[in-house]
Amino acid sequence: MINALDPQNMNNFSEASVSVEIETEDMTLNIGPQHPSTHGVLRLVAKVDGEKVHDVKPVLGYMHRGYEKLAEVRTYPQITTLVNRIDWVAGFSNEIPFIAGAERLMEIEVPERAKHIRLILTEMARISSHFVFNGAYALEVGALTPIFYAMEDRERVLDLIESVTGGRFHPNFNRIGGVKPAAGAGPTSKKNIQDLPAGFYRDTKVAMEKVIEAADQFQNLIGGNEVFKKRTKNVGVLTAETAEAYGVSGPILRASGVKSDLRTQTDYLPYDQFDYDIPVGENGDCYDRWDVRVKEMVESAKIVLQAIDSMPSGPLQAKVPKVIKVPKGRTYVRAENPKGEMGYYIISDGGLGPYRLKVRTASFSNVSILPIMLEGALLPDLIAIMGSLDFVLGDVDR
Amino acid sequence: MEEFYNNIKESFKDAVLEFETINIKVDSTEWIEAHKKLRDEFNLKFFSWLSAVDWDNDVSVGEAPKESVSPCFEVITCLSDLANTNLIVVSTSIGKSDPKIDSLIEVYAGANWHEREAHEMFGINFENHPNLEKLYLPDGYEGNPMLKSFELISREVKPWPGDVDVEGMPEESESDETTDD
Repeated sequence: MINALDPQNMNNFSEASVSVEIETEDMTLNIGPQHPSTHGVLRLVAKVDGEKVHDVKPVLGYMHRGYEKLAEVRTYPQITTLVNRIDWVAGFSNEIPFIAGAERLMEIEVPERAKHIRLILTEMARISSHFVFNGAYALEVGALTPIFYAMEDRERVLDLIESVTGGRFHPNFNRIGGVKPAAGAGPTSKKNIQDLPAGFYRDTKVAMEKVIEAADQFQNLIGGNEVFKKRTKNVGVLTAETAEAYGVSGPILRASGVKSDLRTQTDYLPYDQFDYDIPVGENGDCYDRWDVRVKEMVESAKIVLQAIDSMPSGPLQAKVPKVIKVPKGRTYVRAENPKGEMGYYIISDGGLGPYRLKVRTASFSNVSILPIMLEGALLPDLIAIMGSLDFVLGDVDR
Repeated sequence: MEEFYNNIKESFKDAVLEFETINIKVDSTEWIEAHKKLRDEFNLKFFSWLSAVDWDNDVSVGEAPKESVSPCFEVITCLSDLANTNLIVVSTSIGKSDPKIDSLIEVYAGANWHEREAHEMFGINFENHPNLEKLYLPDGYEGNPMLKSFELISREVKPWPGDVDVEGMPEESESDETTDD
């Protein structure tokens, strides 16, 4: 034990240690619902013992809009409008599993061209969602610069989505049996349907190459940053077993070493025609979760580039009855959304709308792991862990 | 999927494969055992979701079932195996007068929030649940909004404007059956 007050030891001041255990009373810390790092309105009530967090209770419901109830009084085409507001950062990809479910029950074969357009826009939604994550997460752990790059790059992708669908966040572009004619495609009379706006292929190629460039830039700018590594490596480690029991899916699960990607497993979109990798992490820590998403952006861009080169021609819509009635039956369709498994369990009684629509969202299950991950974590790590889950409250509360 | 379905059918006789989804029905007394079996023997370790359905012919919202159903709650879970495509939907029926069922938390820890949601939305009691509190709804909220008898107030006081939107576009008037040819 160094006597810190002895002038001889003044140079070693930093080595002086305090051997007294300070006992502190637990403090209850309320975070949110209007905290900038909560991606909406999540509220956490945490007990804090000094710097250590324990007994975290997430409080939900500030964004609950009751979509499952609303779906019971709407017809199938009207529900598309509702569901793309669930995860508004990737609005387009919310529509896909619902539409695919209705089509499955009605036994409609969707034209290949419509499927390709859906796939391209889904991947663009994934890219734009991961851009938001990249910028926001860096910001949350203390790096201000990346969000400006991320938002600028995302805008390029959103412009493309807008040029086709007419909406930046809420496309409402899918129809049962296909997609609607694109917004910027000129007159949409029956004989002259132009489905994609002029110059779309060219602009997409440019934008996707920029995405690959941007991902590389993020790897240097964020991933190569010593402070970022210190704040995220070995922080918030999640094991694959816990993740599975809690239904945690998507990039978070893959970061924990599980090579699970619903794009390869289900046939809701023709992913099997394309060549891409599934990035998987090793440690399941915050850094891996970030890393997996950056690599995913590159893979998504590659898929889009391939899809554009192999775009089939043909109609955009299958033949569907004018009044859409879905036959009696039940089905569950799930899809790999930017945040994980999203699925709709449709119970149809043969009417104009579903008797019951269960919406399974990724963020709901992903956030339910928070109390486990934050148990015993340091207070400064709380934001780092929470941010790495990349949730959107619309997706949690529905 | 066929192979998995045949394996399931050996253990669960009334398994049905329709619309690419395997549905099995179990008795509510075997709720826990069935899930343990599916988790351990069929490797369905991924807990996707749990929810419920209110079956009733007397409804205040939406369309009533066309055939007469005996009023009950159907509790549904969805489990899957992430290594491949295996996915199963398990359901059971419980009475409406005293709706209760064992909590699945000991089998799947992730059932916690899903059960809390089903509790507040349908009024189902999950026995042995550690904190069966409200998840979304504010404290003091009365009623269970997802019940078919629970009225959607906004729809009661104002007619749905979407109802008028059933006429086709003028140029489409000649074809009634299909939208495209």
